[in-house]
Amino acid sequence: MEQFEQLLTCAICLDRYRNPKLLPCQHSFCMEPCLEGLVDYVRRQVKCPECRAEHRIPYQGVQGFPTNVTLQRFLELHIEITGELPDPTSGQVMERCNVCSEKSYCSFCHHCDKKICDECKGAHMEILRREISRINNQIRRGLHRLQDSLNLVEKNVQNIQTNCLSVGEEVEEIYRRLNKALKDRTEYLRKEIDRYLGTEMRTLTGLKDNLEQEISNILSNCDLADKHMNESVDIWDDCELMDAKEIFLKTIEFIRNFEYENTDYTRKIRLVLGHDPNQLVLHVAGYGDLNIASSSSPFSQGTSTGLLQPPGPGLMRSKSDHRLAFRNQDQGYERGYGDQDQDNVLSGRKFGERTQKPEKTDRYGSSYGRSGADYGDDYDHDRSARSKYSSRFRRRNTMADDDSDTESRGVRFHEQQHKNERERPLDTEDVTKGPLSGITRLADSPRVMKKLQENPTGKKEKKEPVTPQPPKQPQVVTKRPPPPATRQVSEEDEISKIKKQNKGATTSTETAPETRPAERTTTEERLPTQRKLNAPEAPSSTEESDGTATAFQQQQQRKQAQTKPAPPATRRSSDASHKKTARSASSDSSSSAESSSSGAVRSTGAPFTTEEVKQKYLARSEVPAETRSRTSSASAKEQPKPFQSRFLNKTSTPQPTPKDEDEESETSTEEETETEEESDEPSSKKTEEKMIKSDIGALLARSANARDHGRKDGSPLNRSKYSTPEESANRYGGRRRTTTTDEEPPRYGYTSRFLNKSKSSAAIPPDDEDYTPKYSTPAANDEDSKYPSNRSRYMALKERRQRLARSRSSQQFGDEDDAEDNVATPISPTTSNPTAYLASRGYGTSASAHDLSRSRSSHALKSRDSSPERQSASASNEKDGAALSSWARYLKNKYGNRSGGKDKESASGGGSQTSGSASSSAAARRLSLGLPLRSSTDLASSDDDQKNMQGSPTTHIATTAAAGIAAAAAGTSPRSQYLQKCQQLFQIGSRGSEAGCFTWPRGVAVGPDNSIVVADSSNHRVQVFDSRGRFLKEFGQYGSGEGEFDCLAGVAVNRIGQYIIADRYNHRIQVFDPSGRFLRSFGSQGTADGRFNYPWGIATDALGFIYVCDKENHRIQVFQSDGTFVGKFGAIGNKEGQLEHPHYIAVSNTNRVIVSDSNNHRIQIFDVNGKVITSFGSEGSEEGQFKFPRGVAVDDQGYICVADSGNNRIQIFHPDGTFLRALGCWGSQKGEFKGLEGVAMTPDGHILVCDRENHRIQVF
Amino acid sequence: MAALPRRIIKETQRLMQEPVPGISAVPDDSNARYFHVIVTGPEDSPFEGGLFKLELFLPEDYPMSAPKVRFITKIYHPNIDRLGRICLDILKDKWSPALQIRTVLLSIQALLSAPNPDDPLANDVAELWKVNESEAIRNAKEWTRRYAMDN
Repeated sequence: MEQFEQLLTCAICLDRYRNPKLLPCQHSFCMEPCLEGLVDYVRRQVKCPECRAEHRIPYQGVQGFPTNVTLQRFLELHIEITGELPDPTSGQVMERCNVCSEKSYCSFCHHCDKKICDECKGAHMEILRREISRINNQIRRGLHRLQDSLNLVEKNVQNIQTNCLSVGEEVEEIYRRLNKALKDRTEYLRKEIDRYLGTEMRTLTGLKDNLEQEISNILSNCDLADKHMNESVDIWDDCELMDAKEIFLKTIEFIRNFEYENTDYTRKIRLVLGHDPNQLVLHVAGYGDLNIASSSSPFSQGTSTGLLQPPGPGLMRSKSDHRLAFRNQDQGYERGYGDQDQDNVLSGRKFGERTQKPEKTDRYGSSYGRSGADYGDDYDHDRSARSKYSSRFRRRNTMADDDSDTESRGVRFHEQQHKNERERPLDTEDVTKGPLSGITRLADSPRVMKKLQENPTGKKEKKEPVTPQPPKQPQVVTKRPPPPATRQVSEEDEISKIKKQNKGATTSTETAPETRPAERTTTEERLPTQRKLNAPEAPSSTEESDGTATAFQQQQQRKQAQTKPAPPATRRSSDASHKKTARSASSDSSSSAESSSSGAVRSTGAPFTTEEVKQKYLARSEVPAETRSRTSSASAKEQPKPFQSRFLNKTSTPQPTPKDEDEESETSTEEETETEEESDEPSSKKTEEKMIKSDIGALLARSANARDHGRKDGSPLNRSKYSTPEESANRYGGRRRTTTTDEEPPRYGYTSRFLNKSKSSAAIPPDDEDYTPKYSTPAANDEDSKYPSNRSRYMALKERRQRLARSRSSQQFGDEDDAEDNVATPISPTTSNPTAYLASRGYGTSASAHDLSRSRSSHALKSRDSSPERQSASASNEKDGAALSSWARYLKNKYGNRSGGKDKESASGGGSQTSGSASSSAAARRLSLGLPLRSSTDLASSDDDQKNMQGSPTTHIATTAAAGIAAAAAGTSPRSQYLQKCQQLFQIGSRGSEAGCFTWPRGVAVGPDNSIVVADSSNHRVQVFDSRGRFLKEFGQYGSGEGEFDCLAGVAVNRIGQYIIADRYNHRIQVFDPSGRFLRSFGSQGTADGRFNYPWGIATDALGFIYVCDKENHRIQVFQSDGTFVGKFGAIGNKEGQLEHPHYIAVSNTNRVIVSDSNNHRIQIFDVNGKVITSFGSEGSEEGQFKFPRGVAVDDQGYICVADSGNNRIQIFHPDGTFLRALGCWGSQKGEFKGLEGVAMTPDGHILVCDRENHRIQVF
Repeated sequence: MAALPRRIIKETQRLMQEPVPGISAVPDDSNARYFHVIVTGPEDSPFEGGLFKLELFLPEDYPMSAPKVRFITKIYHPNIDRLGRICLDILKDKWSPALQIRTVLLSIQALLSAPNPDDPLANDVAELWKVNESEAIRNAKEWTRRYAMDN
């Protein structure tokens, strides 16, 4: 078996064969790295290690050698027999890591989308972790916004409840009153009727009776007369007859004369109403309306109802990693489609870790859309519209998915596919999702749960299960522009710019749902024909849709123009649109689309009754206003104006516009200045797109021109093209009477804004986008396909732009972001070179580059003439002031020889000095930035530049003297000060691993504010104490990842407060920012330049150079602050300039490099170039002798303190190396030592001693 | 950072587990690529009875390049100079990745028993070895006794 195994072992790697290749000499070796390593590339041959036979390498390299299949079978057999686990890397082929380009077994890194080696991957994961934790912090910090929102929502709920309650009561009251009035009146009327009826009846009955009586009387008379007359019985005498005749005559007269006064008795009673009954009923039926629309607009404007607005600026976007931002962008896009489709939330998962990050913008967007609809006048209407909309949207989304004919879309979906490939560890359907954000609750993800179970402490993988943001959104109530947009705006201009774009996205998403329902319903209901009209023209090119949009817009403007003298802006805008169309003359369809759309509009308008139109229009007019408010919020100066006033206030409305304009121009110019180089990139990319998308390019150029030309000419062409002003007027006629005119100004504002934006050419597409969905609706409405294509294309464009903008400015962001924390050095891990570093600190790149180059070239650092560009740089610097102040303070502390004025200078950190202090501040800045300037000794003179001007920069005395002022000012000469030292002042720590305890502390250093920084070696961490020994913080843990240590040894703090740690057993140097966050590491084990063998002591000079005691390589290596190898000196030996196990190192402010040459029992002092200046000490225990000296320190006057480890004492030497005094002996009492390690000297003259075996720091 | 290659670990383990007779190679505590080596003088050679200290360092690209081996103990040998440098083809151009620490040390041991004055490094020794082999051997024995047997 033994031999069998041996046969399966590659003679080179002594491991199981991996992909054994058979050489012509019949010997087999692993292809990689064994055979690969044997290749003689010059002679293109490989020499068999076994038999030394030389073989030509096949054309395609060593893989061209045949695989030893037999051996492979044996290997499989062996695995079967022994059951040994196959090497995890067995199936893999070595590739070059795409990051470090070392050959290794690479795996795919989702962070950078490359195949990279484990090491780099680890680093990337670490980056991600850090980023996530940073984002998490931001989220935590920003979470209060949601909380505030929650509170607001609650308050608003209350408000609304009370509001509704009171309104309800009001209604009730009115109902009661109306009821009562109605009842009273009714009763009264009824009574009147009865009364009237009674009297009339009485009269009529009386009349009737009388008549009846008359009739009977007369009849009897008649009968009587007949009888008497005919019978001729002379009964009646003449007298009687005369009377009878008289009576009869009277009777006949009566009958003749009697006339029934018909009219008297046919009087009808009529209910005469004060008002038209129908009207009355209508009035009563509609005696009140709940005007929610108007009451909701105050919500959005935050004026009348006193509903509270969510706080403005909030969560900052993660700015550190452009890639992250980039993804966010993507995500933003995804979410842009709103939460309505599941797929997107899932596909949000594409962004892996970033699911945790709430992408509020878009979420809000969608919710806004809804809220807008909800508050529409016509509930059902809107709702149906919305549902239609959303379904359409969804459909569109899917359509967009399989449609990839346009470039932008193709690109985008290419990316998505890419991401789709990725496994989605956190993606599960059944996890709780934030209903608004779609953010999954990580803790619910089975995967995370599993992880947590497996590894109770190991939250590393998914560091923070960010709970989904509570689903409360004030937006529903307030209809406010998405906070993510607004919040950032006020912060910085650049950010605001990006935000603007963001918001652009949101606006568009918002607008779409809002505008469309109203509009579409109009068209859909009234004009099925219209749809047909438009359909054939449905142009899929952006240009065209744009054109239609413009057409619509123009019509309105024309309208306006007719109603009143058109303001120049209107004309300008119309001109712009004219230009658009004119340019895109090639696309005939565009104009036709326009005309058709205008025609459509026309025809739409005609059949409307005024009322209907009004209603619709009102519904709609709300929308532009809203969108406008939203857009204006982009410019960070949201004018909380009530709806109405804006509409009515024609004169005032233009005002916001100039403001917008200003801001636009500001941002745009800023953008330009900021990133001169980068701007090329985006634009070039954009041009590509342009070409592909045919029309956009034209659009860009055009809109740029448009602004110039637009003002001058009144665009007659344009008029003629949209030659139907009257018609449109007709169409809007009804409306115009009511609101149209009022409505124009905002539109005008908007357009001009658009135009303004377009002048910064880069800004166009997003703006167009803002604009398109809104205005294109009438035409685009009916084309399902059209809208999405526009939109998505715009989205893509914008996205890209944002991405670019973001990535380019990400450094700054990172900076600013960190500035919040008052952290001095927020360098993004990607910025490794000094320039980038500078840039990241917000310095104008050109200026800093200039500075740098100059300072490199000129040894003497003529910083005086730097003032002009520094001035310019300083403008951008102001922001840094805050961040700088901390290290400025530190500087002041450490080199505290400055007058008050100088302090101020340094405090402002090169931000805004006057020209007088220009030179020194420039230098100070450079220095304080830890810039790796190669100018040897002028460093310290930075602050003393003015004093020292004549002195050569290399005059050590001058600088020393200057530096020594602090001590001198204190009134004690260091010499006497040190001579007096005999008593321990205090000590820190005991053995242990808790905070404030140590296990074999080694390095010690002095940080800002005289803080004490200890390399707690066997606890694998750095602990920081204040100058009184109180524990401040710690960082680091065991491991070999970033920010992890393995028995770290030396520690140093540079002038900007960064911690530089010699990570001894990891053979590397790590740099941490002042808050203890990992910045970078460099070095690995080895003997080559830049590699280490147990690096031990470490020191940094005023220029930020890092000096490392490469102990087992018996040399000192020097690096720039970014880890670039600069030089090395020393080799094993005991001669001058040679070193044996150098342990600790210190650099004086006169650039003397003091090295404890431990095994030679001496201290050697070099200059920065590695030339020996002097050395002192020999083996022994006399004064001035050493046994294995370790820690060395130097104060600002050059006094040297040596930890004489073998003699367990501290020795202090004059700057020239002569013995001053010694203190301490073996023991564990105060002032006694067991095994000394690092020492450090504070600016105020204390000596910090690392008493290793006593596990404590002693301070003298 | 750079982890120790598996090959070195394996070799070291094997050297510990199955030491070669007459040879001990122990990695340095602080540097696993640095070995403290002791080779016994082979029998029937002028170096018999001597314990020769060597140092062996595995360079970064080992096994693609040869280990660096040097005698620390002074030795009188035509292929080993005053500084302890060894003239051995497998340490130079004849290095093969298939060779290992143990094979290298065995070769060195073999070199002790079979000096090759025709390919000398220490010219005076080689000259004497060629001219007067017995005296050379006597010198070698003397040096062995003096430098390699003390402790």
